[in-house]
Amino acid sequence: MADADLDFTIGDAGASATYPMQCSTLRKNGFVVLKGRPCKIVEMSTSKTGKHGHAKVHMVGIDIFSGKKYEDICPSTHNMDVPNIKRMDYQVCNGEYYCTVSTSYIFTNFCFSTFQLIGIQDGYLSLLQDSGEVREDLKMPEGDLGKEIESKFDAGEETLITVLSAMNEEAAVAIKAMAK
Amino acid sequence: MMAAVGAPEVISQLESAAKVLMAPPSMVSTEQRQHAEHIFLSFRKSKSPFAVCKHILETSKVDYVLFQAATAIMEAVVREWILLEKNSIESLRTFLLTYVLQRPNLQKYVREQILLAVAVIVKRGSLDKSINCKSIFHEVSQLISSGNPTVQTLACSILTALLSEFSSSSKTSNIGLSMEFHGSCKRIFQEDDLRQIFMLTMEVLQEFSRRENLNAQMSCVFQRYLALANQVLSWNFLPPNLGRHYIAMFEATQNVMLKPTESWRETLLDHRVMDLFFTVHRKIREDSDMAQDSLQCLAQLASMHGPIFPDESAQVTYLAHLVEGLLNMINGIEIEDSEAVGISNIISNLISTFPRSVLTALPNELFASFINCLTLLTCSFGRSAALEEVLDKDDMVYMEAYDKLLESWLTLVQEDEHFPRGCFVQPAVQVFNSYIQCHLAAPDGTRNLTANGVASHEEEEINELQEDDRELFSDQLASIGMLGRIAADHCIPLLTGLLEDRVTRLHGQLQRHQQHLMASADPGTVERKVLDDLYEDIHWLILVSGYLLADDPQGETPLIPSEVMEYSIKHSTEVDINTTLQLLGSPGEKATSIPGCNRTDSVIRLLSAVLRTSEVESRATRASLTELLSPQMGKDIVWFLRRWAKTYLLVDEKLYGQISMPLSTAFGADTEGAQWIVGYLLEKVINNLSVWSSEPELANDTVELLVTLVEKRERANIVVQCENWWNLAKQFASRSPPLHMLSSTVQRTLMKALVLGGFAHMDSDTKQQYWAEVLHPLQQRFLNLINQENFAQICQEEAVKQEIVATLEALCGIAEATQIDNVASLFSFLMDFLSSCIGLMEVYRNSPETVNLIIEVFVEVAHKQICYLGETKSMKLYEVCLTLLQVYSKNNLGRKRLDVAAEEDQYQDLLLIMELLTNLLSKEFIDFSDTDEVFRGQEQSSGAGRAVSAADVVLYGVNIVLPLMSQDLLKFPSLCNQYYKLITFICEIFPEKIPQLPEELFKSLMCSLELGMTSMSSEISQLCLEALSPLAEQCAKTQEKDTPLFIATRHFLKLVFDMLVLQKHNTEMTVAAGEALYTLVCLHQAEYSELVETLLSNQRDAVIYQRLADAFNSLTASSTPPTMDRKQKVAFLKSLEEFVANVGGLLCVK
Repeated sequence: MADADLDFTIGDAGASATYPMQCSTLRKNGFVVLKGRPCKIVEMSTSKTGKHGHAKVHMVGIDIFSGKKYEDICPSTHNMDVPNIKRMDYQVCNGEYYCTVSTSYIFTNFCFSTFQLIGIQDGYLSLLQDSGEVREDLKMPEGDLGKEIESKFDAGEETLITVLSAMNEEAAVAIKAMAK
Repeated sequence: MMAAVGAPEVISQLESAAKVLMAPPSMVSTEQRQHAEHIFLSFRKSKSPFAVCKHILETSKVDYVLFQAATAIMEAVVREWILLEKNSIESLRTFLLTYVLQRPNLQKYVREQILLAVAVIVKRGSLDKSINCKSIFHEVSQLISSGNPTVQTLACSILTALLSEFSSSSKTSNIGLSMEFHGSCKRIFQEDDLRQIFMLTMEVLQEFSRRENLNAQMSCVFQRYLALANQVLSWNFLPPNLGRHYIAMFEATQNVMLKPTESWRETLLDHRVMDLFFTVHRKIREDSDMAQDSLQCLAQLASMHGPIFPDESAQVTYLAHLVEGLLNMINGIEIEDSEAVGISNIISNLISTFPRSVLTALPNELFASFINCLTLLTCSFGRSAALEEVLDKDDMVYMEAYDKLLESWLTLVQEDEHFPRGCFVQPAVQVFNSYIQCHLAAPDGTRNLTANGVASHEEEEINELQEDDRELFSDQLASIGMLGRIAADHCIPLLTGLLEDRVTRLHGQLQRHQQHLMASADPGTVERKVLDDLYEDIHWLILVSGYLLADDPQGETPLIPSEVMEYSIKHSTEVDINTTLQLLGSPGEKATSIPGCNRTDSVIRLLSAVLRTSEVESRATRASLTELLSPQMGKDIVWFLRRWAKTYLLVDEKLYGQISMPLSTAFGADTEGAQWIVGYLLEKVINNLSVWSSEPELANDTVELLVTLVEKRERANIVVQCENWWNLAKQFASRSPPLHMLSSTVQRTLMKALVLGGFAHMDSDTKQQYWAEVLHPLQQRFLNLINQENFAQICQEEAVKQEIVATLEALCGIAEATQIDNVASLFSFLMDFLSSCIGLMEVYRNSPETVNLIIEVFVEVAHKQICYLGETKSMKLYEVCLTLLQVYSKNNLGRKRLDVAAEEDQYQDLLLIMELLTNLLSKEFIDFSDTDEVFRGQEQSSGAGRAVSAADVVLYGVNIVLPLMSQDLLKFPSLCNQYYKLITFICEIFPEKIPQLPEELFKSLMCSLELGMTSMSSEISQLCLEALSPLAEQCAKTQEKDTPLFIATRHFLKLVFDMLVLQKHNTEMTVAAGEALYTLVCLHQAEYSELVETLLSNQRDAVIYQRLADAFNSLTASSTPPTMDRKQKVAFLKSLEEFVANVGGLLCVK
């Protein structure tokens, strides 16, 4: 641990989907895998059984893809899996655009991938990566976001799609106008 | 409006409105309901409604309408008092009383309302001497002597109504009169009429107590008079000279101690009064409702003090009689559950009220019996309280009674030098023993045993919000600890023996478990019951030991309690110092196995017993038995050690008249003992921090012990000589496991401790090396990280963010460690970080919790350091804060918050920004800096020409905050309070800056003030009113007319004027509003005259016009022309009070 740089290798491409952390060190607003789903922790509290019992941690998390709520309770000494949120192609968001999000909470501190939208086919998005490659394996999101993407695209606006990726799962979560 | 309509129409209108109001919600619409309410409201405001009301009372059959008529009469009488003929008031009162008397079947609420109107009339009249009050008592006493229970009940209702009205408490009707009026009424009343009521009540009680059997109806009447007696004895007597402190009158209507005026002497010093209450209680004690009242009456009598006693001997006689009566009452009865609290109240009142000299002047035998009785009662209540806990009762009456009695013991023994020597030792032993017994498991104790000896043991879920026993029962423990000191000879060895025994058993139990585990390797089969019982025993033994051996005063150096010191000194001749030190230094061995262990100092041996507990715990963790241990016991141990260390470690002999040799040899400065124990404690801390990172509270208590070890220079000097300390510092700096697994608060406090330790005495090389180990790695890691080429790409990775967050937490910890003698170096160190932090604001603008933490660093630095900073340093801090605010503001522009169902913590950043601004402003109030005194030699003060001032920063900040503070946000109490505190501060400190604000900002500031004044809590309203005077004074100073501020203050003049004159004013606010009004009047004299003119010209009634005109004239008479002069202002405030009393109620008429 002498070399500071060693600490920051976690999260690089090729790392495992999750890594373990002692339950007591998890924080609200951090991430954890609950019932097999990558979640953002929205509530955390501790309790114990009997005055001389050991601390247990009660967690409520929201699935970062589906927005569903999950709960778990476990001894604070146990290790929990933390999802490795993979970063593929990061682009700084410049705060001046409105972000339409797919679920009822704001995405913060996620690692986003941003792609240019170049087509929509059979409910799948065609996205241009910085490398010049086109990927066509990402589903068109449902709900308001999907509609917005469609209408923006139909109107011929140049748009960027923000993609979130964790535990081998990906989803489009936001849309924004291309910087002119 | 009503006057124009005939009475029958009014009645039918009201009756149909009543029908609407009484109808079930589903039957009427909201509009209908509001309309109906409006009809009643305007009816009550109608002018001279007396004839109509009388008519209604005589003819209407609808109770609600009758009730409203009574209310209308009451309100109108007060409103139009001056205009009414005296004899018409009198006949009105007679009418109401007769009305009630003739209608025994009236609904209770109608009857009470009519009697209330009567009482209000009597009260309003008592000052005019226009109403003959005496006649009402004559009438009432006739009613009482009628012997008819219904009539007697009615009489009681009349008296109760009078009492409530005259008490000038919250029960009093709001009749818009000055406090002075209420005060005068009350004072006249309490000298004469109140006593008459008391006498009447006593007669009734006497009469009833003589009867053999009481039927239900009779006993109901009895109960009402008993309650009335209680009300009289709980009267908050006004002293003859109240001065201007009328406010006090309306406070403290609960737990009033009886302090009657001299004129009550004959009445209350008559023993028959007290005897009567004892007799009454004996008669009704099985009725729990009545018993509460009779015991409360006795408790009030037990609290009697003041001028009623001509001299001390009168007090002694009175107290002797009371104690005798009490003993007679308690002895030979089995106390009912419902009596426990009442009886403990009597005892607690008499102990806290009567001076020690009076208690000691009691006949010896009586005093001894009293103490004996108190002892038995305390032990018995303690046992019953324990039973209540086992049964998990909702209503813990015995616990409450026990708390009261323990508190009384504390009062008694704290001044035990007044009492015969040793007179409390035996009682203390008994109470102490019973407490210990209740808290230990069988067979030694009775914990968790129900009354018939069945053990109940339930594991309940305990959440993090539940308080620890050491706080929950701190009052009880403080009393028990004190009693333990009084009987130290018994209690200290008792605790030691019990604790040593439990520790030996725990050790054995853990060993058995270990062997068992090695054999079967299945931890699931471990039976925890035996262990948990041991843990719970140890838990209480350690808590009691901690409270016995040391106090924990906030902010001062705790001293070794004199009783403990004396105890140690007394036995020091029998003590072998070497054996004592050996016992202390070998926590791994059984105490009793050390030869000569009975010739050791008992105080040290009790500490050693805790150290032995600690050692068993530490060894168990090393043997991987942590899972079997109790984190609660771990907390108890470090809590005890911290409390102990604060008091005993490096005991300063100068603070004591005499000192015990064993204590000074073992723990004094420059002793091996002290060094050994510091090392031991440090090892304990390090072990705990690595083993217990998963137990946040235990880790927290542990790190607090560490802070205690280093916050005092003398202790820190020893700490930094330990190699372990350096290891800890290095380990923490490397941010490696296990320390980095600690919670963020613990890490923050750990940083604070490490910094505090750095200011211990070390030679300069060592010191340099220390900082190189502690602070520099922090800086180095941080700089390496943020200067990495690819920082922009990796900054959002979890690991990087964690590193950043840890650094920020550490910075907060460093700021927290600020003391006057280290502020110079810490300030410089932190300043280097602050600018980098601002850069991070940019990087992490999408991560609110990181942004909040960054702002928190600034808040902490400002909070802890600004008061020490001289001009140049302050300016540096202002500058960097200004930059922070700029970045914050820029990032906020595009920030979208969840506005739907937003929670308060979403706005944490805003709260922190306001906190930061308030902290920066606080320098104007608290400033310890002596022109850079603490920085001397570092720089020359730059003197003139501040580049950035506090005002600039704060106003810039307000620029950001104001637009964000929407009305919705003001609904969050914390944001609202912080916001108004901030803007009031600004108006008070920098009134000259307000006119310079940009137009929009200025407007919203003024809007906020108006909003705060008119539609927020009275506290905020008061803050805003306080902000007005400096603003008006500012206008007066510049003498510029037509500035926006000048115009705004004109608007405020109207607001404050309306508030004071036209609206039912909140009496708490009169002073703040009056001061604001006065300065505003000075500024806008013409407008003020106009306001008055307009108000007068709206008056059609010549009499009212004249009264108002006169009142306005006398209001400003003493301050014409009004100038901003203190004397004039005070005169104005005085006239204002009269003004409000005179015409305030009058103007409320619609």
